[in-house]
Amino acid sequence: MRTLRTPLDVRPVLLAVFFRTPLKALFPSLLLVLGLWATGLQDVHAQDHTVTGTVISADDGAPLPGVNIVVKGTVTGTSTDLEGQYRLDAPSAGDTLVFSFVGYQVQEAPIDGRAVINVSMQLADVGIGEIVVVGYGTQRRETLTGSVSAVSGDKLEKAPSINLANTLSGRLPGIVTINTSGEPGYDGATIRIRGNNTLGDNSPLIVIDGVPDRSGGLDRLNPRDIESVSILKDASAAIYGSRAANGVILITTKRGRIGKPRFTLDFNQGVNQPTRIPEMADAATYVTMLNELNEYRGLPPAYSEEEIDNYRNSTDPWLYPNTDWFDETLKPYSMQTRASASVSGGTDAVKYYISFGGLTEDGYYRNSATRYDQYDFRSNIDGRITEALTLSFDVSGRLEDRNFPTQSAGATFRMLMRGKPHLPAYWPNGLPGPDIENGQNPVVTGTDVTGYDQDDRYYFQSNLKLAIDVPSIEGLSFTGNVAIDQFARDRKFWNTPWLLYSWDYETYDAEGNPVLNGASRGPTEPELRQWSETGRDILTNFVGNFQRDMSNFSYSALLGVEYQKETFSGFTAYRRNFVSDQIDQLFAGGRDLQDLSGSATAGSRLNFFSRLNFDYQSKYLLEFVGRYDGSYIFPKGERFGFFPAVSAGWRLTQENWFRNAVGFIDELKLRVSWGQTGNDRIDPYQFLGTYAFGGGNVFDNTNVPSLFQTRIPNPNITWEVANQFDVGIEAAFLNNRVFLEVDYFNNLRTDILHFRNASVPQTSGLSLPRENIGEVASTGFDGSVTYSHNTGSKFQFEATLNLGYADNEIKYWDEPPGAPEWQRSTGAPMNTGLFYQAIGVFSDQAEVDSYPHWEGARPGDLIFEDVNGDGVINADDRVRINKTDQPKWNGGINLSASYGAFDLSMLFQGAAGAVQYIQTQSGDFGNYFKEYADQRWTPENPDAEGPRAFQREEEYWIANRNTYFLRNTNYLRLKSLEVGFNLPVRLTERFGLEHLRVYMGGFNLLTWDKFKLMDPEARNESGSYYPQKRVFNLGITTAF
Amino acid sequence: MKNYLNTLTLALALGTALGLSACNDALNLNPLDQISDAALWEDPALINAYLNDIYLGMRHGLYEVQLGSLVDETHFIHGYGTNEVVQSITSASAAGVWSNGRTNTPIDAYRWGPVYSRIRQVNILLQNIDDSGIEDEDLRNNVKGEAHFLRAYFYHNLLRAYGGVPIITEVYALDDDLLVGRNTFEETVDFIVAEAQTAADLLPMQPRNLGRATEGAALALKARVLLYAASDLYSENPANELVGYPGGDRTARWRAAKNAALDVMNMGLYQLYNRQGDPVENYTQLFLENGDHEEIIMSRFFLEERGDGYNPGLHNGPNGYRNWAGNTPIQQLVDDYEMADGTEFDWGNPEHAADPYENRDPRFYASILYDGAYFRPRPPEGAEIEPQGIIQTFEEVTLPDGSKRPGLDTRDGPIEDWNGGYSGYYLRKFIDPSINHSTSEKQIVPWRFFRYAEVLLNYAEASIGLGEEGDAREAINQIRRRAGMPDINDTGQALLERYRNERRIELVFEEHRYWDVRRWKIGSEVYEDAQGIQILAEATNYQDRSTYSNYQYDPIFIQDRGWQDRAYFVPIPNDEIQRNSNLVQNPDY
Repeated sequence: MRTLRTPLDVRPVLLAVFFRTPLKALFPSLLLVLGLWATGLQDVHAQDHTVTGTVISADDGAPLPGVNIVVKGTVTGTSTDLEGQYRLDAPSAGDTLVFSFVGYQVQEAPIDGRAVINVSMQLADVGIGEIVVVGYGTQRRETLTGSVSAVSGDKLEKAPSINLANTLSGRLPGIVTINTSGEPGYDGATIRIRGNNTLGDNSPLIVIDGVPDRSGGLDRLNPRDIESVSILKDASAAIYGSRAANGVILITTKRGRIGKPRFTLDFNQGVNQPTRIPEMADAATYVTMLNELNEYRGLPPAYSEEEIDNYRNSTDPWLYPNTDWFDETLKPYSMQTRASASVSGGTDAVKYYISFGGLTEDGYYRNSATRYDQYDFRSNIDGRITEALTLSFDVSGRLEDRNFPTQSAGATFRMLMRGKPHLPAYWPNGLPGPDIENGQNPVVTGTDVTGYDQDDRYYFQSNLKLAIDVPSIEGLSFTGNVAIDQFARDRKFWNTPWLLYSWDYETYDAEGNPVLNGASRGPTEPELRQWSETGRDILTNFVGNFQRDMSNFSYSALLGVEYQKETFSGFTAYRRNFVSDQIDQLFAGGRDLQDLSGSATAGSRLNFFSRLNFDYQSKYLLEFVGRYDGSYIFPKGERFGFFPAVSAGWRLTQENWFRNAVGFIDELKLRVSWGQTGNDRIDPYQFLGTYAFGGGNVFDNTNVPSLFQTRIPNPNITWEVANQFDVGIEAAFLNNRVFLEVDYFNNLRTDILHFRNASVPQTSGLSLPRENIGEVASTGFDGSVTYSHNTGSKFQFEATLNLGYADNEIKYWDEPPGAPEWQRSTGAPMNTGLFYQAIGVFSDQAEVDSYPHWEGARPGDLIFEDVNGDGVINADDRVRINKTDQPKWNGGINLSASYGAFDLSMLFQGAAGAVQYIQTQSGDFGNYFKEYADQRWTPENPDAEGPRAFQREEEYWIANRNTYFLRNTNYLRLKSLEVGFNLPVRLTERFGLEHLRVYMGGFNLLTWDKFKLMDPEARNESGSYYPQKRVFNLGITTAF
Repeated sequence: MKNYLNTLTLALALGTALGLSACNDALNLNPLDQISDAALWEDPALINAYLNDIYLGMRHGLYEVQLGSLVDETHFIHGYGTNEVVQSITSASAAGVWSNGRTNTPIDAYRWGPVYSRIRQVNILLQNIDDSGIEDEDLRNNVKGEAHFLRAYFYHNLLRAYGGVPIITEVYALDDDLLVGRNTFEETVDFIVAEAQTAADLLPMQPRNLGRATEGAALALKARVLLYAASDLYSENPANELVGYPGGDRTARWRAAKNAALDVMNMGLYQLYNRQGDPVENYTQLFLENGDHEEIIMSRFFLEERGDGYNPGLHNGPNGYRNWAGNTPIQQLVDDYEMADGTEFDWGNPEHAADPYENRDPRFYASILYDGAYFRPRPPEGAEIEPQGIIQTFEEVTLPDGSKRPGLDTRDGPIEDWNGGYSGYYLRKFIDPSINHSTSEKQIVPWRFFRYAEVLLNYAEASIGLGEEGDAREAINQIRRRAGMPDINDTGQALLERYRNERRIELVFEEHRYWDVRRWKIGSEVYEDAQGIQILAEATNYQDRSTYSNYQYDPIFIQDRGWQDRAYFVPIPNDEIQRNSNLVQNPDY
């Protein structure tokens, strides 16, 4: 019955081969070719004046290799060598040289006829001097008036997570991330900007290189391709109009810089394991609890004291196993490997950044069928065709190959949680033991013995951009942009029977060995389902930009139009009764009971946007943003919306009186913004009265179609509007060593699209559309403070603390008119729930009799508080708990330091203010948490902290949600750590390398919390999920 | 050079402008996977598809939780909110299995919200049908007739659960006044009866239509509702007109019920199924035969290719066959099967007690799996242990060497012990033994909404109500003869008791008993602690059933049960009361 992986799938082999050497040579040779090609593109010019020199860091006087040097206003340039030396032939002795290097301030040096120019580069100021990516452009941090958090890609590289979303955790103020699973391929984090702001979809808009909502999102981008990530947190996001209400994440990938080709190679090898595995009761405890269940039902005990002792003492592994299911199913650690290579550089004419990446990640299971492989490439090319005309062409591609067993992680972990400790995972002779049900023995269902589920996704994304500096009008430029993204997905689900062994605990063979009976589980015959999906997304835009700089005053205007169209279609096919499990192709299945289905969607958006900036002496700053946005989701009359924003800034440090008064402050900016943005993330076409196909029915022994009304139409449905107000302060002091930024925000989301089902009686029979009825206010603050110590010595240090608080309140929505006052959700945060207040455990019958109780309550049950004091416990006694699984406080502490050749980076991340409901599926069909078992009430232990053993959902305090099972999930964790060592230059140059760095580190290394049962980011109420990952990582990176 | 750039800029701008004018229309998209309101009502095929969906609202009785587990037929071992119901401790805010959000139960066929959504579907159809694309009047009448039948059926389920309910026949819009109060019990009955009659008048006179409603189905529904209306629960409830008749002529109600049943009988289209010689085999096949036969008035069908989620063998079969033992018959039901000679079974009778499964009503063997009954070959791991395919629910059997072994189909057995039943019995009725239910294979045996035996029983009950005992006995005896049981000759109270037991046995597990014990107002008698059987035996060969002897049978307690009068009606959900201040809750909730 056991099937090996399909013989056609050679990729695992390729990958293995690649990482085991021969093909490794491919990468360098590929890069060599690219490099040769790129080098060939370098221009050759007539030379008039030769300049040489050395570039050093002002910090420590060390020579800086790789500094870009360009003759200003020309295409001529070079870069420094390993000693920081350069030689450049400039067109004339009157030219100016421009020196630039990542992390340092740009410096200009007029040649003035000199033949030797030595330069000392100053480190860039923290925060204030940087260029920040904003919608459809960039701005200097110092003149920015919106609330924008940004992080550079090199910081994100420090976290060895396979998923980019996880690397954002704790990095930026105002960003909430929750990583709810570590399953390879599905291990992303949900990202919220300033918490939840709407009753509907709260996910932010993700814009990758100017294209909103690209398929595949940000999760699977190669962190080493990321130049920067900017988060637009306030109304400055209005430039993205209808989709900006939940904030915007702008991701910019790396581009080439003028200079010689620079090759980088990075390889890192990690091992991962679950952050935390729940501790479950052992066999003796579990069967004791089963006996208690019988006792409470008035039934005789199922296990004798002797049997329980045998379990406790593990007298016989055949008859009395004591199984740790997690231990049997999960490896101590699993492997993950990531490799990337890139080449970048350019001349004034052509700049290029080209990269390749590959990664593979194994699942936790022993003999895991779960595995994630990824291959990606990116090529960002900028070509200066003429002085005024630049053409950029970006192409990226990615293959995501997800492999799973046929049983979902949810199913396998459900069985691990339920795993009965008195049943064997494997019999002592090595054969797999029985299941709890459905053949789901987790030691088997995590492997490929049950078939496979292979999910391949292909992304091809391209961007063609033409930029024109209109020569006849100074300051006027246009860009035209066409982005074509294609997405395809092939999924194949091959489900085959597998064998499990059971024993009747009675029969032995002649040698006295137990006789096991093997039985086929799962499908009777192999079955195959295949999916094929394709999607296309085309975006075109045209943007005009006009900028004028006068002596005291400058202004700029941006005006653009954009059209985006997306289509999707897919189909699925199914056959069963395969004659053999040797051929996993559709044709080999039986024609009876085959099944086919398909679907398609389409959508389009059109919008006009504008931004106006005014700047007086870099002192008073003013910005207007507006977008007129149209979406297919809404009816004709309600389709277009206008989303304006205005923001202003005042740099006090530009005022002489201020500077004179407070000298130690290097920079102080006050800014304020207000604006409106929209949210359109709902099912489309709710303005139409439509009918959808249901599951069909059977008449006359044939399958007949069925149609049902999807909902009653809402002809007036339109945008949800976010009214966003933000006031912030940015300051730098102590010689720019400390940088501080704090924002207060106050958002009012109006016209929230929600259902009126709380008040519309069900007798109406209506299936309701969403209506613009909700109103939610959110307030909070976020900010960060950075201290940077990098003067002079070998020791450099930077620390950033960021913190955000976000809370919300429902101002208006639909509520049942008859609900008691204390249960009303208006005035409470969104998504809160009603819970009975568990105020203890009835220790004996006298206590039950003395307090109002649930009908049928008995000693050992939880005491529900009689909140309204009417002597009866019923639904009216539930109270609203104003906490949800969304933390209100989020923050991080980021430390980075270097001393000589060593560097260190550490990120602590924490969240507070969230709760999680957690209740296992326990009783005769599943195990209990050890903590629960230890604390439980029994007749012998009447003063126990916790309630008695429970059977599934049969107890009222299991079936009705109460505060006993609601746990605080506050946590602080060492999210990532990396220690690096740079080989001394004298060593690296011997190999012809620019640098070579060896590093080791980890992800989710330590956690402090009171949740204890599982990882504090767990969001599955029964614990049936693939736990979060801890990673230990070792890597090497080199450039030449 | 500069000209060339200016031209390019202009071209880009123009291109954009042109592109945009085209785009503007491109925002007018239509869903690619749905059908518009206008298109639907023009196309007869689509109207039919719309009607097909409404039928699904009737659901069926073979979900994981069966209605029998809420009354003295079966015990549902996995909870799912059934314990609260049999203990009568449900409330409007914690209604156990009747609460929202419970899936895999038959309860959606009775639940407030889902049923009213179905009623709205019917109302929309009736509002549009006359101006629709179906031009042939006969065809149109057929569709209308089916719609009226469905509306009557949905209301009859609401009536059984809640009593009088808001009667809604119009298609509400959001801005209408939606706070509709309850109609009285009498108004609700009258409405259903009128709807059923309208349906009967519009529908063709044909015995059955493989899943669709017919005149016979409409008349059978009418007969059922009229019988309910005449029952004790509602006639003796003068204080609250929402849940009963405040007065009126009960005899007239009995008469109407009897006549309605007689109308079905007089159609001459239906008769009791009697195709197999052996009465056990006959009663078994009555339910297993796919398709319809002479006894069937209306069914719900399934197809293997659809995988309808219909798997009573898996849900209810023995754990020793890797089934889930969900709804397991209790001892009180087993005891109510008469002896084959028509006498009552009695634990006080040593002969009965020594061999309780011998010489019972043939329907017992066709409805219930008991210790020693042959079922089907076991799946491999079970067959190694017990090769004969015989049910083992004994607690233990003692072998010659003094060792004891538990029954394979018990909670002490080695196969999925936690899925074993407590009572010692498993479901046999509806279960197709030709299928290995522990695999994904599903049986496609239909569910019977109406069959002729019920009509005869309804007729008998109304006759007893009218004192026309001869008619009653004649109808009952028709059923008994078909079942292989001797005639009865009882009169008066004895006849009534006999009738009630006959109905319990004949219609067991068919979603009647739960409602019958309510309308007969006998809750306090039947909601007593559930019992199972404890069996001990000796054997010389564990695997050979013929060597078993010295059986010892003892009824044992298995489940706590109790009764409160408020449980005669299901509470209207608390949420709904909070939404609608005009709704009056049922008594004592």
